[in-house]
This record gives sequence, structure tokens and C-alpha cells, in this order.
Amino acid sequence: MYYFKHAFESILGNRLIYFLSTGTICISLLLFGAFVLISANFSNWVQTWERSLSLSVYLEDGTGEEAKEEIRRTIEVLPGAQIKAYISKDQAMRDLAETLGSQAGFLEGLTKNPLPASYEVFFRNGDLSREELKEIKESLEKVHGVDEVQYSEQWLEQIEGFVSIIRILGLVVGGMLCVAVLFIVTNTIKLAIYSRRDEIEIYKLVGATDWFVKTPFLIEGAIQGILGAGVALSVLFTAYSLFTVRTIQLFGLPVMDVIFLNTAQCALIALLGLVLGLLGSFVAIGRFFRF
Amino acid sequence: MIQLFRVSKYFGAIAALKEVTVRIRKGEFVFLTGPSGAGKTTLLRLMFGAEQPTEGQILINGINLSRIGGSKLDLLRRKMGFVFQDFKLLNRRTVLQNVALASEVTGEKWATTRKRTHQLLKAVGLAVKEQAYPMELSGGEQQRVAIARAMINDPLILLADEPTGNLDPEITRDIMILFRSINLRGTTVVIATHNKELLRNTDQRIVFLQNGMIHE
Repeated sequence: MYYFKHAFESILGNRLIYFLSTGTICISLLLFGAFVLISANFSNWVQTWERSLSLSVYLEDGTGEEAKEEIRRTIEVLPGAQIKAYISKDQAMRDLAETLGSQAGFLEGLTKNPLPASYEVFFRNGDLSREELKEIKESLEKVHGVDEVQYSEQWLEQIEGFVSIIRILGLVVGGMLCVAVLFIVTNTIKLAIYSRRDEIEIYKLVGATDWFVKTPFLIEGAIQGILGAGVALSVLFTAYSLFTVRTIQLFGLPVMDVIFLNTAQCALIALLGLVLGLLGSFVAIGRFFRF
Repeated sequence: MIQLFRVSKYFGAIAALKEVTVRIRKGEFVFLTGPSGAGKTTLLRLMFGAEQPTEGQILINGINLSRIGGSKLDLLRRKMGFVFQDFKLLNRRTVLQNVALASEVTGEKWATTRKRTHQLLKAVGLAVKEQAYPMELSGGEQQRVAIARAMINDPLILLADEPTGNLDPEITRDIMILFRSINLRGTTVVIATHNKELLRNTDQRIVFLQNGMIHE
């Protein structure tokens, strides 16, 4: 309790410095938290897509009813597969026009409907691996009447690539921000130690151990870090709450739920703030104390 | 209580002390005197462990200062009191807090510290000024607070470096009475001073330092 009391007294005695340093830490961790949030949302998006696997089995033009029936049976025997819909060429054209909205006018110039008919298939069991999906695609494409099978693998790979870039960028930026936070805490604590050097001298003269003198400074650093992290998370959550769109849509299809950081991620940011605060103090007192 | 064996201290090429050997027994009252630059402050700092000797050994209550460091030295310092010419009080703390500070570091309970602090301030005649700040006190009063702080842990040894250097003769007399009463209670007292008036009519032991060497 003594140490906490002294730490708080020091913080209150140097309010402005601590306010500025905590504010800067908050901004740094806010930026880092934003990266984590964006990365978490894209990762969630990828995982949601992977769980709701679907195939589009495009038919060749002129495929007869018998061939269509054969294709349908072939699909239905696949483990977990369920045909969501059969979309005829005309239906496909109508869906495209609806999606394009005001731009649909240019479709009127087409002399021939280029869109194929298709079976939209989804898998009840979402645990299929990429390799299994690839095998299913290749086997279906061999069936008479099937022109092409797509399952958005390219999209997923591109998005995963994008998520990886976000993650790497987040790590790089996060690393730089951590160094900045460390620097800020170290300098703030050094200032605090310098402003209290007379007091420290007297404490040592009356027999205080080094840790008796150092511990309040460690606590001050930890408080800065955790307070900065706490405010950063609060600001992030407030921004998330005010951001009214909860589902980002693409071409009328719900594709991404906007989520906030989970408990573990919030705890990680708070812990990061705490660790950086402690580490910064440790560096500061290590350089300053030479008794 | 305090034993120095052929202690020398060099600051670069400059010898502050040269082969000083001196023994101070338990309960003694000793004046350490000499001209400015004789090495008085250096000698006290060595006794306190604030400096390490370049050569020689220093024993405080049987403990060799050269062989201890870190927290062991800190613990030894709790059994020693040090009074400075410039008092070294914390201006942002009250008289009570300044005195109690020396007890806080030992982990003593606040209630006990508070009681002991009050007793000491009463003994030095400053009980009514517990809540005052150092800047509100006279020089003599500040020095008495410093003495109270030095005494709060019942030290075996009290070292004082020019404790009356900034004080007028009347206050000096009062401070010296305080030191004598402390000594009468069993504390070994060593006072560094170049105040000839203090030394003139004293029956206490005087150790004379000149050019870093002892002359008794």
C-alpha cells in the first residue's frame, strides 16, 4: 500500500506530465488496437466464408434435362452437399440486372444471354479442407454438361493475402508503436526520478533499500501503461458502438459482420500496456540509480 | 564502535585521506575538526558508507563496510543517523512526515511511527510544529527536525557534518545541548566542525585532521 500511495502522490504531483504521456500512450495503443480490430474482422470474414462453403456448378449451354438430372444426382451424393437453388439462364440475367440496379441498362444491348445456368450448392458440414474442395471441383467438372465449378477460392486466397498484409503491417506498426510507448514511459519516469532526486538521496541516507525507492516508480510506469491501454480500448469501443453499420454488404449479399475485439484480444492490449509501462520504468530506473 | 585502519581515500591523484587510523568507542562523543579541505566530510562519508576507501578497512559495530553492499549497507544505515549542515529536509513534506520518513523505510507500522515521531519532536521542542513545512521554520528548528529524523530509529551512531555551520551562536548552543543529551542516552556521536568556539571549552575528545592525516 505504501508503494501505491507514493506512486499516486507522485502522479498527482506531476499531473500534467503524466497526463501528456498517458495520452500519447493511449494514442499509440489506439492505433495498434485499430490494426488488431481490422485484422480480427477480416479474419472473422474469412472464417465465416470458409464455414459457409458453397459451390457454383455452371452448366454448358444446351444441357438437356436428363443431363441436368444426372448432374443433380451427382451433387446430392457428395457428403454434406445440398442444392440451394437451380438458377436458370434467364433467372441469372434477372439477378444480375437487379444487382446492377441503375446500371442494368447496358444489358439491353446484349443479343445473347451469356450467363450460364447453375446449381448453387452449399455444404452443411463446413469442415471441408481446401484440398477436399478442389477434389470435388475437379470431379464435378468431369461430369457431362458441367462447364465450370467455382467456390470462390481465388477470393478467399486474395482476402487471406490481404489479411496477412494487414497482420504484417500491424506487427510492424505495432512494434514501432511499442518502442514509442517504451520511450515515452522511460522519459516520463526519468523526469519523475530527476525531480525527486533530493528525496531519493534522503531515503537512501536513512537506510531505504534500492527496491523501496524503485518500486513506486515501477508502479507509476505500470499505471501509465494500463491507463493508456484502458482509455484506448474505451475509445475503440465507443467508435465501434457509434459505427452503425454492423454488416457490410457486397452486391446485396451479407458478407461481413463487423465485430469488436474479443475478451482475449482486449486483455492482450491491456497486458501490453502494462508490460510496456513496467519495462519503460525498469529501463529508466536502471539507468538512473547508481548508489 | 567505529574503527578505521590505515584508511586512505584518493579522488584521482588527490589524497583526501592518508592512512587514517582511528578508534571511536561505544558511547563516545567526538569532535572531528580541522581546516577546510582537511578531509572531515570525506571521513564522515566513509564511516557512513557513502564512499568506499581506496585503501584500508572500516568497521562499524564490527561490520566491515568494504565487505557489505546493497541492502546490507542500507540495513546498517538504519542504525546510524546523519545530520547535515544544510539539514536536507523535504520541503514538500511536513515536519512530521520528514521525521517519520526514516521510520517508514523500516516497514514500521504507522501508528508506532506516529507515536515515536511525536515523542521525538517533543524532545527537541517542536511538538507544536508537527504540521508545519520546513520553509516555515527557522534554521535552528530545521536542524532540530533533522536531528529528530536521525534519532527515530534509535541509532547506535550519530554522525553530524557541520550541524551548526548555518546557525547563530545561541542556536548552536541549543543544538549542542541536544547532541549531548543524545550522547548521554548511549548513542556514539561524531561531529565534524571547524567552529573553534565549540571546541574551546569542551571536555570531549577532539580528533584533528590536517591534509588528510589524523593528529590527536
